[in-house]
Amino acid sequence: MEAASVAQNLGQGAELAGKYLTFSLGNEDYGVGILSVREIIGVMEITAVPHTPSYIKGVINLRGKVIPVLDLRLKFNMNHKEYDERTCIIVVEVQGQTAPVQVGMVVDSVAEVLNIAAGEIEPPPSLGSSSETENILGMAKVKGEVKILLDVDRVVGEGLLQQFAAQ
Amino acid sequence: MAAGHKPLSELLDEMALKILMIEPGDLSIVGELLDLIEKLLPGRAAADIPMVVQQMAVAFKGALEKFIMGELADSAENYDLLGQCITEMQESVRKEGQPGEKILGQFCDNMKKIGFFLEPSTLLGPQGATAAGMGEPAHDTPVEKECAAASPRVDAGQIHAPASGLPSQEAIPDFLQDTDLLAGFIEEAFEHLESIEVNVLELEQSPDDMEIINNIFRPFHTIKGVSGFLNLKTINRLAHATENLLDDVRNGKRAMDSAVIDIVLTVGDALKSMVEDIKNVLQHGPANYKDTDISGFLASITQLQEGDNGAPPAEPVVAPALESLPEVVESEEAESQAGEEAEPVAPARAAIAKAARPVASPRAEAPASPASRPAADSGQKKIGASIKVDVEKLDALVNAVGELVIMQSLVRQNRLVSRIADPKLTKDFSQLTRITSELQRTAMSMRMVPIKQTFDKMIRLVRDLSKKSGKKVDLIMEGADTEIDRNMVDSIYDPLVHMMRNSVDHGISPPADREKVGKPETGTVFLRAYQKGGSMMIEIEDDGEGLNTQKIRKKAIERGLISESENLSDFELNNLIFLPGFSTADKITDVSGRGVGMDVVKKAVEKLRGKVEVQSQSGKGSLFMIRLPLTLAIIDGIIVRVGSERYIIPTIAIQESMHPERQNYSTVHGRGENLMVRGELVPIIRLYEKFGVESTYTDPCDAIVVVVENEGRRRALMVDELLGKEEVVIKNLGGLDVPGVAGGTILGDGRVGLILDLAGVMANTAD
Repeated sequence: MEAASVAQNLGQGAELAGKYLTFSLGNEDYGVGILSVREIIGVMEITAVPHTPSYIKGVINLRGKVIPVLDLRLKFNMNHKEYDERTCIIVVEVQGQTAPVQVGMVVDSVAEVLNIAAGEIEPPPSLGSSSETENILGMAKVKGEVKILLDVDRVVGEGLLQQFAAQ
Repeated sequence: MAAGHKPLSELLDEMALKILMIEPGDLSIVGELLDLIEKLLPGRAAADIPMVVQQMAVAFKGALEKFIMGELADSAENYDLLGQCITEMQESVRKEGQPGEKILGQFCDNMKKIGFFLEPSTLLGPQGATAAGMGEPAHDTPVEKECAAASPRVDAGQIHAPASGLPSQEAIPDFLQDTDLLAGFIEEAFEHLESIEVNVLELEQSPDDMEIINNIFRPFHTIKGVSGFLNLKTINRLAHATENLLDDVRNGKRAMDSAVIDIVLTVGDALKSMVEDIKNVLQHGPANYKDTDISGFLASITQLQEGDNGAPPAEPVVAPALESLPEVVESEEAESQAGEEAEPVAPARAAIAKAARPVASPRAEAPASPASRPAADSGQKKIGASIKVDVEKLDALVNAVGELVIMQSLVRQNRLVSRIADPKLTKDFSQLTRITSELQRTAMSMRMVPIKQTFDKMIRLVRDLSKKSGKKVDLIMEGADTEIDRNMVDSIYDPLVHMMRNSVDHGISPPADREKVGKPETGTVFLRAYQKGGSMMIEIEDDGEGLNTQKIRKKAIERGLISESENLSDFELNNLIFLPGFSTADKITDVSGRGVGMDVVKKAVEKLRGKVEVQSQSGKGSLFMIRLPLTLAIIDGIIVRVGSERYIIPTIAIQESMHPERQNYSTVHGRGENLMVRGELVPIIRLYEKFGVESTYTDPCDAIVVVVENEGRRRALMVDELLGKEEVVIKNLGGLDVPGVAGGTILGDGRVGLILDLAGVMANTAD
């Protein structure tokens, strides 16, 4: 039984292995697959959009393109923190309903790009019935630190598209 | 073997190959065969081609033309027999022009089986009279035997060509082999069909104008040619038959009358739907393929041709039958013909040329009256100096240019930069501004197309409507060159059709009624387009009955839209027709008034952020005016401030703005707030409440209200401040879809401003 779960872990890990951009929210470290990251920008003035959940901060002008921005802290029900010079917006591209859409994610600070091997990745912990874990691809243990690998499509997709369909 | 025979035998080989490719219903290859056989005809053939082969060619050509005319059955058996005839011609060539009566007899026999009566003596010509009497015995030769003998020879002729020709014919939509070419054809065909329609309608005005007839003939010819090449058999046949009919007209064999015009128009429609079908197949796969039945069209075309020409004699004589055939002479083909004759015929090259240019059509020996015919190429379409660009690329360009303009103004307003008192810098800056705004204008204009295309469709519509209703209507169009946003073209079509129908159906009275009131029998409808102050105006004016304000009033009261006591101006009464469910036409006709009122038009126009109004004088006529933004990409808006947020309200919806006075403000049950604006109660919407932002003022009398109108409803939007008027580029919010917000835009400071969607803003307020 143990062998089977290890094999399963390995199989899953192999799929997830690769380069991740890591960033921090509070005292937690997260990672997103580098392939979905478009760019990292400093925080800029965000235009609030009415009738949206609080974690959607609004929209910004990304060189002539208007893109939505969501605050990951608020999305994960963490305490709000004032934006400072270390605050960043990570612009990711995910598949929208019809075409790929770009979305900004506000994070406390961006760390580095890590190459995470299959053996370092473990499946997400089960936190009871919490839906939080659905956003998590896996946990990576790198140099004694734990990085939470996010499923960007899920985080953003849920955050934007599904919420609005319900409204 | 004389050297001159080589091209001859190769020609025959090529013909044998073509025969193998023929399938019933595919006349294009018959056309190609005709092209080939021409080279063997007396007077055209090289001198060393035996007389008897030339005579056989004459007979062969006669038979081919009968296939095209539909007089001979278009069946596989008959094409097999034609193949045998080719074999016999090949045999004759091999025997150095002395085939003997056996072969000649078989040739005639096969022709007879097809249905083309021929005596061997005819083949021998005047000199060959000696052989004439001996033709008969050969008839007994079993055809099967000859068949068996013939097939290897035919196969031998096929060696030159890839063997793929045959199997590819088996699949149903075999035209799908070259989708690139096909896509090009579809686009082209639509253009051609459009031009046919326009020209036909023009022709109605001046039926004798040869140039217009040519302009109609040419696109049919092109469609026929290309469809033949692409193996679109039904389209090819239909276009071919129509082309033949038109050719009769060109040659003066029959007059251009309404019957011909009608058939050309209906054929044009049928072709359009067939091309549409193919487009479908291309997009959704071969399963969607359906073959259109064109026999009805072919029959009526043949009927038209025969009605005036007299049916071609069914006599078994070759020469007269030839003369009664339609002539098609095209300069293009005449040229290539000349070219091919000038040099030694190289079949391989000829085959390539064949593939590249349109398929041939029946042609008699010489043009009957070339002098009277205008040069066919005088109206040839110029090669437009334009390229097609992906809309996304265009949008990206427009985006980038917009950003450039903003960045430039940001740099200019930079505190340090603006402090520099350098005349050179000032000059350079103003130069830069000129360049960027020029760039912006150009980028914007790339999305624009003339409205002509849409207008041209109206010609046909009015024609059909007036025919159907028995009214006489002239359509006069002005300003068809006015440019409109490419994205608007499709959306404006339906409302325009609706309004045109309205004008013809309700506006213009029957000729008799018009005469009674002293108007000319023929009604006039004007269709105008022009630009006015950053808007595009489309006007539809008729000199018909006009709107009956009394009737409208009565109906409006009936429906509870206005009260008995309400005193409305004529203009206001007339514009009530745009309210839902309003139709004054007493009778419901086939064309309009099916319960779908003008509210549909109004909605469609408002969707394009436009406005529609009507002015009318009873008995004199009506004028419908549509005002549209020049482009959908840009919106003319007023920027308002609510707390720290800025919103853009589309200018077209704004009626007025004001500081409300206390005595005009009232509440219902202490909640529903209203403002008396020019004698009318208008509900107030507090934008800050609606959008959940902190505002400077909470008392409407301190703030400013903007009175807006949307879909007939008025609301007073409460804002803190009016910041100015600006033309802004509309952008979507990148995946966010929020009620009350139509989109975003980049404001002068580089930040995003939200554009209000008034329907959404009003929607959530209880009425």
